[in-house]
Amino acid sequence: MTSAEAAGPARTKHHVLALVVERNLIVQRLERFFLEKAGYEVEFASDGVSALARAKELRPAILVTEILVPRMDGLTLCRLLKSLPETREIVVLVFSHLEAEGRAMEAGADAFLRKPLSEEPLVEILGRLVARHQQILREKK
Amino acid sequence: MSGKRVSTGIKGLDQVLGGGYPENSMNVIMGSPGAGKSILAEQMAFTNATKERPAMYLTTFSEPLEKFIVNSQSYSFFDAGKVGVEVLYEDLGLPIREKGYAELPALLTEFLTARHPQILVIDSFKALSELAKTPEESRLVLFDVATLLANYDCTAVFVGEYSSDAMTELPIFAIADSILSLRRHGRNGNDQRFLCVEKLRGSFSAPGLHAFSITSEGIEVFPRLLTPLSFTSYSAPSLQKVSTGVRGLDPLVENGFWRGSTTLVAGPTGAGKSMLSLQFLQQGALAGEPGLYVGFQENPVQLGRITTGFGWDMKKLEKKEVFEFMYRSPVEMQLDEVAARIFDRVQEGKVKRIVIDALGDLKRRSLDENRFADYIYSLTQWFALKEVTCLMTYELEELFEFHSITGEEISNMADNVLLLRFTPEASMARTLRVVKTRGAAHDQREHLLELSRKGVSVGKPWKESRQSRM
Repeated sequence: MTSAEAAGPARTKHHVLALVVERNLIVQRLERFFLEKAGYEVEFASDGVSALARAKELRPAILVTEILVPRMDGLTLCRLLKSLPETREIVVLVFSHLEAEGRAMEAGADAFLRKPLSEEPLVEILGRLVARHQQILREKK
Repeated sequence: MSGKRVSTGIKGLDQVLGGGYPENSMNVIMGSPGAGKSILAEQMAFTNATKERPAMYLTTFSEPLEKFIVNSQSYSFFDAGKVGVEVLYEDLGLPIREKGYAELPALLTEFLTARHPQILVIDSFKALSELAKTPEESRLVLFDVATLLANYDCTAVFVGEYSSDAMTELPIFAIADSILSLRRHGRNGNDQRFLCVEKLRGSFSAPGLHAFSITSEGIEVFPRLLTPLSFTSYSAPSLQKVSTGVRGLDPLVENGFWRGSTTLVAGPTGAGKSMLSLQFLQQGALAGEPGLYVGFQENPVQLGRITTGFGWDMKKLEKKEVFEFMYRSPVEMQLDEVAARIFDRVQEGKVKRIVIDALGDLKRRSLDENRFADYIYSLTQWFALKEVTCLMTYELEELFEFHSITGEEISNMADNVLLLRFTPEASMARTLRVVKTRGAAHDQREHLLELSRKGVSVGKPWKESRQSRM
């Protein structure tokens, strides 16, 4: 066993589901590690079309999407999620290699973060999005 | 990649790379064994490592980890207190040997997620990748590693004993964001190290070969000198004259040298070149113009004897910071290093007069004559831009008559040329003749050059000179 295996992620579950749209299995593995370490339950979709279906089915609190995903790009996905009554309360983080904060916000995203993955800013922004999601739910009641 | 840069920990290399490696990039350092690749990578690791974001140094099959660490401790940048806390050494070869090369992406993912390194070094990646069962496996694993590193916030360095032929054959060179090649060039025991940026994706790097040295401090890089992008303006103070400091010489060149000009003082050994140049600095220093003497023959003790003999207290001038002596032994001296150190002084703006004594020593340590001429040209352009007035000496083999002053067009680069010689007709008297002045009239006659206990001075015209009749 390597020291890396020994360390493992320290998990504190708080039952918030994050749906992550990412086509690459290697990157999925990396993102799963840090999100689970931060206490999130994580599901993946590997393209925009299946992400929309999974979002309707699972109703996650947060959806994290790259812009560059197959079949339907992350910005179109974001617009659709925000236009449908059953998914508009899902908070969306556009997490991309592209410098596209303006376009993400125009598409209705709740936040934008530039890749590569760095644990601290990712966890910090997800924390803010969870709070926003809870506020949306309170306002709905 | 973001626009931010990660320092290599080596000032000169950061300059060559336009500020350092691009953040979140994947970089190759290549070169033959002993080229300095691992020292460079370690220096970068120790420079950037923090407790929160450590550097991971993964060794493979080029050297056992234990031996690697023992060798590294001889360098001053190696801080044993940081090892295991900020700089994490691991043997990547061991798990790869057990699990197979295909498991490399998974193993690296474990390292990244467990330790969060901001710098990741694999040394040697070439030795590791030779464990791939097929070229296809090698390429696919490399692709996955590159994908992983592109998505995680860390800057990676892959060290390898690659030859230049490998660059057209191996996929790592296509995938890498940068390729830094370390080389050794030698001629007649004159072994010198150079590095070259073969590739730097999406950003500027300084072209050409850049010299470097390895000392107990680690690696020091001397970026190749380039000519300035702008030129001096024809306005004050570039239109000022500065006194030569030699009695009788100013009138021969219309009241002194132009500020920022370069003067070549050529002549045989013993003709008075060094004395004249030293006096130029000493008189300048007394007038408040700081001077730098770059010498390759007399060491500080020998120079002290000479100047004391003339009653010049150079120590006092050094304390006042208006005189500096930069000595380099002609045996170890490297053209690029000397040029870089002179350039640094000029950039600092603390020097107004410079003497380089002598150009021949620099030329002998240059592996390439074109490179030598390029360096001198660049330096003279920088002197002009920074308004630093320079004297360069050049030793001629002939004592009495000269067919050519230098073979490197140096005399064309100089604004003024002073020719010193002995006259066999009159008991080996020393003489000085102004051969050329740019932008001023000059007295073309040959004059006696007199050396006394007070220094050097120019005397009466030497009418009997054979050369003055030619």
